[in-house]
This record gives sequence, C-alpha cells and structure tokens, in this order.
Amino acid sequence: MTAVLRRHPMLPVGVAFGAFLLLAPVFAERGTENDLWNMSFFLVLAAAWNLLGGFAGQVSLGYSAFVGIGAYTTVLLAKAGWSPWLTLPVGAALAAAFSVVVGLPTFRLRGPYFTIATIGVGEAVRVIASGLDFTGGSSGLRMPAGTFDFTANYYAMVGLALVTLALVAWLTQHAFGLALEAIRQDIDGAEALGVNSTQVKLQAHAISSALVAVAGGLFATNFQYISPGSVFDFRLSLTIVLMPIVGGMGTLTGPVLGAMLFSYLQIKLLASPALRDSYLFIYGGLLIVVMLFEPKGILGLWERLIALWARRRPEQPVAEARRAS
Amino acid sequence: MVRLTWCGALAVLLLGPPVRAQDEIRIGAVLPVTGKESKIGGAYKQATELAVKEINDAGGLQVGAKKMKVNLSLLDDTSDPAKSAQLVEQLITQNKSHAIIGGYGSHLVQAQSVVPDRYGVPFLSGGAGATAIYGRSKWVFGTLSPVEHLAETQMKFLDDLVKQGKLKTPLTIALITENTEHGNDYAKGVNDFVKTHPGYKVAIAEKFELNTTDYRPLLQRVAEAKTDLFLADSHLEDFIAMHRTYTQMGLHHQMLTHGARGSDTAARKALGPATDYIFASGWWSDLLPYPQVKDFNARYKKETGVEPQWYHAMAYETVRALLTAISKAGSLEPEKIRAALANLKMEKSIVPGQVLYFTKTGQADVPFVVTQNKPGGKVDLVWPKEDATGQAVAPIPTTK
Amino acid sequence: MQKFVVVALNSLLAAGLYATMSYGLAVIYGVMRIINLAHAGLMMLAAYATWALNDRFALDPFLSMVVVAPAFFLIGMALYATLIRWLPRSSAGPSMQSLLLLFGVWLVLQNLAYAIWGGDTQSILTPYTMESVSFLGGRFGVPQILVFVASILSLVGLNLVLRRTYLGKAIRAVTQNRDASMLSGVNAGQIAAVAFGIGTAFAAMAGSMLSTLYAFTPDFGRSFLLKAFCIIVLGGMESFTGVAVGALVLAFIENFASAYTSIPVSYQDAISFTLLVVVLVAAPGGLPGLWRMLDRRVMAR
Repeated sequence: MTAVLRRHPMLPVGVAFGAFLLLAPVFAERGTENDLWNMSFFLVLAAAWNLLGGFAGQVSLGYSAFVGIGAYTTVLLAKAGWSPWLTLPVGAALAAAFSVVVGLPTFRLRGPYFTIATIGVGEAVRVIASGLDFTGGSSGLRMPAGTFDFTANYYAMVGLALVTLALVAWLTQHAFGLALEAIRQDIDGAEALGVNSTQVKLQAHAISSALVAVAGGLFATNFQYISPGSVFDFRLSLTIVLMPIVGGMGTLTGPVLGAMLFSYLQIKLLASPALRDSYLFIYGGLLIVVMLFEPKGILGLWERLIALWARRRPEQPVAEARRAS
Repeated sequence: MVRLTWCGALAVLLLGPPVRAQDEIRIGAVLPVTGKESKIGGAYKQATELAVKEINDAGGLQVGAKKMKVNLSLLDDTSDPAKSAQLVEQLITQNKSHAIIGGYGSHLVQAQSVVPDRYGVPFLSGGAGATAIYGRSKWVFGTLSPVEHLAETQMKFLDDLVKQGKLKTPLTIALITENTEHGNDYAKGVNDFVKTHPGYKVAIAEKFELNTTDYRPLLQRVAEAKTDLFLADSHLEDFIAMHRTYTQMGLHHQMLTHGARGSDTAARKALGPATDYIFASGWWSDLLPYPQVKDFNARYKKETGVEPQWYHAMAYETVRALLTAISKAGSLEPEKIRAALANLKMEKSIVPGQVLYFTKTGQADVPFVVTQNKPGGKVDLVWPKEDATGQAVAPIPTTK
Repeated sequence: MQKFVVVALNSLLAAGLYATMSYGLAVIYGVMRIINLAHAGLMMLAAYATWALNDRFALDPFLSMVVVAPAFFLIGMALYATLIRWLPRSSAGPSMQSLLLLFGVWLVLQNLAYAIWGGDTQSILTPYTMESVSFLGGRFGVPQILVFVASILSLVGLNLVLRRTYLGKAIRAVTQNRDASMLSGVNAGQIAAVAFGIGTAFAAMAGSMLSTLYAFTPDFGRSFLLKAFCIIVLGGMESFTGVAVGALVLAFIENFASAYTSIPVSYQDAISFTLLVVVLVAAPGGLPGLWRMLDRRVMAR
C-alpha cells in the first residue's frame, strides 16, 4: 500500500477529487454542475494533449481538429439514427486515424516547425468543414431531438476525465512514459538508444486524439448544436495548450490545475461586469507572467517554493522534501 | 461588510434557494458584448437596457392588478456559443428568470435556443433571422423576420423596377455571399425567387470567407461573368474591402447590393461617393414615416446620443414585445406568457407594417424595407412603396 | 493572353502586400528564432494609430509612417527590454515560451485597443483610396500600387542595411551563429534588441499601409498573420529576398488558381495552409532550400 502511495503521492487527492465530481449531482445546483462539466471537458483536453505535448514535448496547436471530428461524427451518425453513445468510439477511431495521417508527414519536423505545421492543419480542416455541404457548412448542425440527457452526459464526461487521468498516469509510469520523456529531452539520443521515436509519437498522438474526440462527441450531445466556429476554432486549440502550460507541462497534475484555473477564470470573469471587458488583459497577462517567471507553470512554482522551504530547514533531508512535492 | 456578505452567502447556501421577490419581473438576457459580435452586441445591450429603463421610469409594467418593476440581468457570452447556452441556463436555473431575451447572431442564438425547451421558459430573440432556429420549440420566438425573405424582398423590389420599365429582363445575377448561415439563407432566398421567375438567372454563385484578404480573384471571376446585377451579402468590414476593390477595378452593374449593408454611416465614411445608388434591405430603417418611429428616433437620440440603427430599433422593440405580452398575459406564469407571445399583435410598432406578430414557427414575418443611397450622403426609403420617401434609381448611372 | 497579364499583375500587387506584412516577422525570426505572434496585434495597433493621426491631423497614412515607424521601433525595443530579454534561450532553436509569451502580448494589445477605441469598425478614406490606374488591359487600385512600391523599397532598404552597414553585418552574424558572433565582439543582446525594434517597426509600417486598404477592428490582423507564417516558411525564413519570393509564389498560386480553375474562392485559405504544411514537410528550407538542393544535385552531376 505504501509502495503504491509512494509512487503515486497524489492518489488520495485524486480519489477524493474523483469522488467529489461523481457525487456532485446529488447536492449541487445545475449551475455548479455546468461548471464542473466544463472543467471536466477542459481537463480531458488538457490532460490528453499533455501526453504528446508535455511529456513528449511535441507542441501541437491543431487539437481543435480532433474535437471537431468527434463532435461532427456524433451529430452526423446520430442524425442517421445511431444512439449517441455508440457514435463515440467511431469518432475516437476516426480521430486516431486522422492523427496518423497528419502525424506521418509532420512528425519529421522538430520543435516550433512542427507547431506551425499543426496550425496549418487545424486551419485547413476548419476551412474545409465550413465549405462542405454534408457537414452543414458554416451553418452548423443540430442533434436530433431526444438525445439530450444532462445527468448521463455529466457522468460520462466526469468518467472520461477520470479515465483520461488514469490512462495518462498508467502510460507515463511505464516504459512508454520513459520513451516520451526521452524524446522530449533529446530525440537523437533516444533514437540512438533504440527508441522508435516516430512510432512512439504516433501512438501518443493517436491515444490523445481519440480521447479528445470522445470529449468532442459528448460536447455535441450536451450543447445539441455545433458549428465550425465553435468546435474547429483556433482559439480552442490555443486554450487546450494554455492549460497544461500554465498548470505545468509534462506532469500529471499540471493539466488538472490548468483546467481548474481556466474554468474558474471563465466563471469569475463573466460574472463580474467590471472584469468582463478586461478578460483578454487577464489571459494575456497570465500567459506573459507564466512564460517569464515560471515556464513550468503552477507546479513549477510549487516545486520552487518547496525547494526554498527545504533549504530553510536544513535538518530535513532534501530527499524528503522532494517526495513531499 | 465583507464578513456580512460571507455570512449572508453561507446562510443562503444553508437555507436553500432564496425566496425571490414576487413583485418584480425577472428578465434574463445573454448578449455578445465583447468578442467578434461586440459591435452590434453592444448596441443590443444599450437598446435593451433603455427599453427596460423606460418602463421602470414610468412606474413599472402593469401585470394583472399590480404594477411591477422589471429586473434585467444581462450577461456577456463573449461571442462564444457554448458559453451563451450555459449562461441562458444559469439565468433560468439560478436567476429564476421569468423570460429570456435571446442574443445577437444566428450561431449564438442557435446554441441558446436548445435551452428554453428543457425548462419551459419563454425565449424571445431580437438578434437572429436564421429560419433553422425556429419551429423546433414552442417556447422560442424571434422578432427578426427570415433572412430568406430579406432576399425575396430585394428580388420583389427589383421585379417591380422591371414592371416600371427601369430595368429589362432577362437579367443575370452574380450571387456573392459570405460563408455563414446568414449568407446561406440569403442565397436560398434569391435562388427560390429565381426558380419561380423565369426572367432571372444566377450566372455565378460564390461564397467567401469572413475577413478575406484579397477580393481581386473573386471579383475577377465576377467581372468575367458579365452579369447585370450584383447581389452580395456581407459583414461591414468585408463590404468595405470588397467594394473598394470593386470600384478600383472599375466594375459596374445595373443594380448592386450587399444585403443589409450600404446605408451604414461607417460604410459611407469608408467609401465616399462609391456607395451611391447601392440598395440595401433590412429589418428597419429610421426613415419609416410612421409617427411612432419619429418619436422613437427622437427619444433614442435624446437618451443615448446615438442615432438609432436597425439593431438598436429591433433590440428595443423585442423587449417591448416581451413586456407587452407579459402585460397581456396578466401573470408571470410561463405558459400564459408563452400563449400571449404566440397570439401577440402589437400595434403601433416601429417595425415596417406597424404590427409585430409571430407566425406558427415563432418567428416574426413582417415586411422588410429597402433603402437606396443617393448622392450627397442622402438615403431614401424605396420599399414598401406606400412608405417610400423617394424614387428608386435604376439602373445605376455609369460614372464614365 | 490579356487575362494572363492582368492576373499576373494582380498577383504582383498582392505579393507586394503579402511581403510587406511578412518582413517584420522575418527579421525577428531570423535574428532571434522567435515566432512573433504579437505581430498581428502590432499591425492592428499601428493601423489604429494611423487612423488617429488621420482623424485628428488629417495626416496621410503613407506619410504618417514617418512618425509611426520610429515610434513603434522604440516600442519594439521596449518590449524586448522588458519581456523578451528574460526568456531563456535554447540553442536547439525557437522555444514555445517565446511563442506563448508573444501570444499573451497580442491578447493584451487587443484589449488595449478595445479599451481605447471600442469595437467599432474604423477605416481611412483618402482622395486616392478609390482611384485606380489603367494598365495593360486591367485597372489597378492606387493604394495597392503604393503598397507594392513600398514593399520594393523596403526590400532594397533592408538588403542595403544588411550588406553595407556594420549593423547589417552584425545582424547577419548573429543570425548565423550567435555564440561565434559574440566571440567576434558583437554585442548580441544589443543586436537582438535592435532587430526586435526593426521587426516591430516593419509590422507597424505594414499596419499603416493595411489601414489604407481595409476597415479594421481590434480583431484585425489574424488572417494576415497566418498568411505571413506561410510566406516566411516558403521563403526559407532566412533572407528577405526569400520572403519576397515566398510572397510572390503564394500570391501567384492564389490568383491563378482562382482565375483558371473552378475551385471555390472560399477554399483560398485552405490552399495557403496546405501549402504551408507541404513546404514544411517536403522542403523545410523553403524555396531557397529547394533551390540549393536542386543546385547541389545539378552540380553533383
């Protein structure tokens, strides 16, 4: 038991967090449930993205494409008579397939060149989706009547969030995680040691895109109406990247913190008329501050504080301080 | 003071939802005050707040035996459809609004419109003309008539010019629409008319993205098609950019329109005399010669310092329609308000035709106006003919 | 044949516009390997500044560049000194941090514009805005011609500075190998600041020029930014002539695709994005890289 706890020090917190989310519908108001749904949605996106972006260091600014693929698959199949739940795996499969198509050529690129390429892909997908007729073009699509069930959707989204976190935790704790880390630090060195970096990247891309697509499908069912502007937007791609970066890339809890902060900001900023007009200032300012002072995000800040505290109490071994963080 | 607020909040949380004051009407509104649609969203906010203020200043709204104040909660969705829907939900569930004023922008209102059905709350939008939104829920109403009819009105206006002998069929059309729901509806309206009127043909139909950087390739195709008429539907920035290129390229058509654009002061500032003779169609014009419109213009200018445009007028009239319905219902019960809206025939309205009412789908279907720019910064109302302030000029004189 | 000429001239004019808005991005990338997402915000701010000058003092937009460009040069240096300088430099290439930091700056600039000028659409109308010139069977707008001339002058000016001045040599040195240049006595930090200033000044000039063509809101600049990315990638991200060539290629493809195929005009953007990805993957050195590769192959024979 202690061994498990030592390897996953955040596990009790995670379990409590998960329990809170699952029990919320019992005591919370609809408004709060909406907020928690939002947070879970962003959590899935942030944590899934982090697999490729944080752990493997391949920053993609085109993830809104996968949200869109999931959302549109769900709506189109639901309109053809499918049960919305059955559409989710199809969306996931399509997204994973698309991720491979995109990844094969672009994973040859390094660093920001890869990032720019993903911007291009994301935007091209959006333009094409707005132009095609069977996707409803720019007018968007509506889910058929009778497919809305908030409680079921809520549990599905929360469930997805917990599954995503568990999956990422499991993957990164094993050899796969080491491979990702190696790729992030020194891709040539990793190759020299026998890591097939392209294969690993493709796998990470596929897994994360599938998770994101399922979230997109649930989004479609929850809001009942989607349009290229809402699911294929470049700003969504930016938000997806922002959360793990502010929270702490390449860690398990980073995206969670980022998603929580982001959801909280959204609620607070919109509710207050004074702050409403300055939300761009706040997002922009937050980005600037984080990038300048603590690129490792909130978690990095936390680690620095812990290290400072450890240094101030020399009788405590440093190893213990590290474990505590 | 802060501590008191905390205690109060705690008490509220512990004691459950507060007992709401029963002698006020709670109206919720979600508008794009910031973000992509902020320009007109902000105008809607201003007009909505003015309408509510006028009622409250007069002592409140007569509902049954009591006079009640209107409590307006207006939230900003930052032009994000998902947020928009959630805010409407928040206004219904937490605010316990008796009715909701919808937002501006078809994609935003589309997202919002799925919510009222779940809770059985009347929803009236003054900012979406897309037909796809209406007819799905008995709780959803809209004061903007369908965009297809905007296009149809323009075609009828053109057809009338043919009857007057100012234009001669057959006439070919270049149909250039923005790639949005509004643009698609406009195109449908034109195509439907052309299908039933053999004197017209759409020779070239193209869609363009918002904020296109270079209109020359598109207009080159239009030039090659050599059509008689140029019918476009666009946002203000794109209208300005496209029309500048159009003028520089020396293009000319017998009649030209950009849907609802043309008579905006911003457009005239940006384009100067190049806007002369452009005709535009819209849900409202300050030139309508009704006494209530003149009165509204004066009042609006006095209160806000702004000359009202169609969006101010429609936002204002939407609130007035909702409040009139509530008053007629004599109660705050949702079903009664809904029934009053469905049966509403608001007379002395500032809308064209002077009567505001809703069809079976919940969407209004009042006439559109057509205005035409005249040289010297003048604008004339040319349709409906009985309300016209001037003669339509067709074809557009060539300046060479 | 006449159509070909007109389309070719249209492409040339469009290329002038595209090149103008890409130089600023290229300078900053070349020297510091930083992708300046705030470029769009700076163009927008300069457009508003130009409009304000035109509104208050009836100053012609092209002439106002004399005021706007130096002002923004200083703003750029200030941005560098307060923000960019502190970013850790990774020798492995451009960093995500700079990208996101400048994105943050862009958001702040947008909010600034909303706060000062509101969300209203603004535009500038000069006596020559709607004028055009007849030439070889087509009519071409005067503002576009002026922009084209400005882009040629910028290209010539930039190349002159690079080749004939000490500053230019220092910039080239830092671009090629920062550490080695420092060993040779170049103050790389100062050069970087100056380069950022120049990049910002060019963004501002582009903004001033764009204000003569388009109406704008605080959201302005996004579509140009994405095209500019495309262009500097095409151009090889290393030289200004490359940027000009990239702009030409993109403009030609867009105009000729529209004139000679029936691909809907709304897919125009998809073309540039796809091109971006294709070039990144197939020819990372851009067109100059492709040229070098071909050159080497030919030489090897």
